[in-house]
Amino acid sequence: MKGDAVRGHLDGLLLAALESGPLHGYAIIAAVQERSGGALELRTGTVYPALNRLERLGLLRSGWQAMGERKRRCYELTDAGRRSLAEERSAWRAFTAAVGAVLDPGPAT
Amino acid sequence: MTAPAIEEHVTALASALRGPARVRDRMVREARDGLLDAADALAAEGLPDDEAARLAVRDFGAVEEIAPDFQRELAVAQARRTAGTVALVVPFLVACWTMVGDPGPGTASLVAGLLAVYAGGVAVVTAVLAAAALAATGTVARRLPDPHRLPELVAWTGTTAGAALGVGALAVTVSALLTADWRLAALTGALTLVSHARVAASARACRTCARLAP
Repeated sequence: MKGDAVRGHLDGLLLAALESGPLHGYAIIAAVQERSGGALELRTGTVYPALNRLERLGLLRSGWQAMGERKRRCYELTDAGRRSLAEERSAWRAFTAAVGAVLDPGPAT
Repeated sequence: MTAPAIEEHVTALASALRGPARVRDRMVREARDGLLDAADALAAEGLPDDEAARLAVRDFGAVEEIAPDFQRELAVAQARRTAGTVALVVPFLVACWTMVGDPGPGTASLVAGLLAVYAGGVAVVTAVLAAAALAATGTVARRLPDPHRLPELVAWTGTTAGAALGVGALAVTVSALLTADWRLAALTGALTLVSHARVAASARACRTCARLAP
């Protein structure tokens, strides 16, 4: 799936990638691509402004951390971020169930 | 890895962006780090360094495609900065104006008093709008639709506040010439003039950022 199709779901994907612990920008991108089996192609340049916005909204917090010889800005979910991710999941499940019921109605009775 | 393709791309991105230097530098540095990490990962899979850097830049996106997202965040950051300045400085100055002594009878005193009241009223309205803008771009924004025109609104709110402070500075200066306690009035006038310059400069920066943001 190309970047344009992913763009509408970017916030949820970034929050989900951070659910298991803090990560820096490229590691978040790699986690999304790995968890999708390579099916989701992120336009990686869109990720950094999105992370900045999620932090401004209080869904993430960040800080510089040493990663070997380099320093990287690492992000982690706040409590509000975890709640937002749970809401995104519920909304996505309801949406896919509804669309699935229409696209694949099953055998007629 | 040294990667001219990445440095060139990051430099082009930075030069396309306008906004608070600290926020811009942080976002650009983070993008550069991400590009270097991506190129390292591709090189670790066996690609030559220059090819890895070229692919990382391609996946990042062209500057004209990516810069609007960065600029949007910078416009919001500048709007918050301008709104914060207006919301903090204006109420303080208006409170100072009320403490300036009565300049006594006369046409000049009457005009100065009316100007100060008018400028004070406008300034207070801009301070309330600025405080609302701060709230609308902070954590409250989770529950609100993305306010795309807000940086522009803050820019013009700041411009209006700057103009009101300019008029206020004039009124207080006239009062300083006429009042018995001229030292306090002169100090308040000078403080107002400095604040007028600061608010006007911040509003100008906000207008530039808002104009470039999508």
